[in-house]
Amino acid sequence: MSEIRALIVDDSSVMRKIVERTLRQAGLDPLVVCEAGSGTEGLELLKTRQVDLILSDINMPSMDGLEFLRQIHAQNLAPGVPVVMITTESSEEHVKQAIQAGARGYIRKPFTAEQVKERVLPLVHPA
Amino acid sequence: MLLNGVRKAAIANRREGGEIEMEPGMAVSLRESLPQVSDPRNLDASVEEVFQLMLGVQCRRDGAPAARDTESVTAVVGFGGLLSGACVFSSNQATALEIAALMTGMEFHEIDDTVKDGIGEICNMLAGAWKGKVPELAANCGLSVPAVITGRDYRLHVQAPEFQLHHLYRFKESSFDVTIVCDGLQ
Repeated sequence: MSEIRALIVDDSSVMRKIVERTLRQAGLDPLVVCEAGSGTEGLELLKTRQVDLILSDINMPSMDGLEFLRQIHAQNLAPGVPVVMITTESSEEHVKQAIQAGARGYIRKPFTAEQVKERVLPLVHPA
Repeated sequence: MLLNGVRKAAIANRREGGEIEMEPGMAVSLRESLPQVSDPRNLDASVEEVFQLMLGVQCRRDGAPAARDTESVTAVVGFGGLLSGACVFSSNQATALEIAALMTGMEFHEIDDTVKDGIGEICNMLAGAWKGKVPELAANCGLSVPAVITGRDYRLHVQAPEFQLHHLYRFKESSFDVTIVCDGLQ
């Protein structure tokens, strides 16, 4: 299986580590992770690095996940790369906003490895 | 402890993060859902869910007050929108260290930035899980980013809350408490 390069954007360093661990538990291995603590930092990283998958929190200071998602598309960074939102916000409206902004998946915190496997794996290993 | 800062942040987050647009003349009120919003079982279910999924431990409601003989760690996540208030997680130092260890798989001996970050995230997930139990609340209430406070001898005071839930929980030998305080409901 080829290496998966993932960008994890979350203002919590603990959450970034949990997401990385869960991705590995879900079967994304070998996995190379780069991390960003905000949407702004995530955009800067995408200007210099190529990734296969982006996972982003929504509720972050300075630039939230939805704006990060809009900026990825507006600046044509990471074209075609699937973005999955991982967030505590769970209403239908939030999911709709994320999908409208270009998200390909949505996972609510707290989450299980099974949920991550179900929603992320098909995006990086299409059938 | 003043909650105005986190509450303002939650309201600001809600505005910046995409206020949900409603049809003209369409009014949403949480007052009619007050029995569901203030149902204490929602808090218990949220705590059990977060601790089971993120820490792999079973939590149970406990009647005994959590020991506060050492430094406390308190995380606050504000609610803004149709409900204003906060979710407050509080524990002693030993419990905070154990939670951070379970979250990260690392061992901690002091309340450092990683421990505070982990406790803030637990509070964030508790707040999100709690509001997610009532669809009207999930759709019309935003969350602030967590604030974490450490120290001794501090108390949470809210004048004339609409309602307040304060539950004590225990997992293994550790205990903590969670408070949901609502000081405004539209």
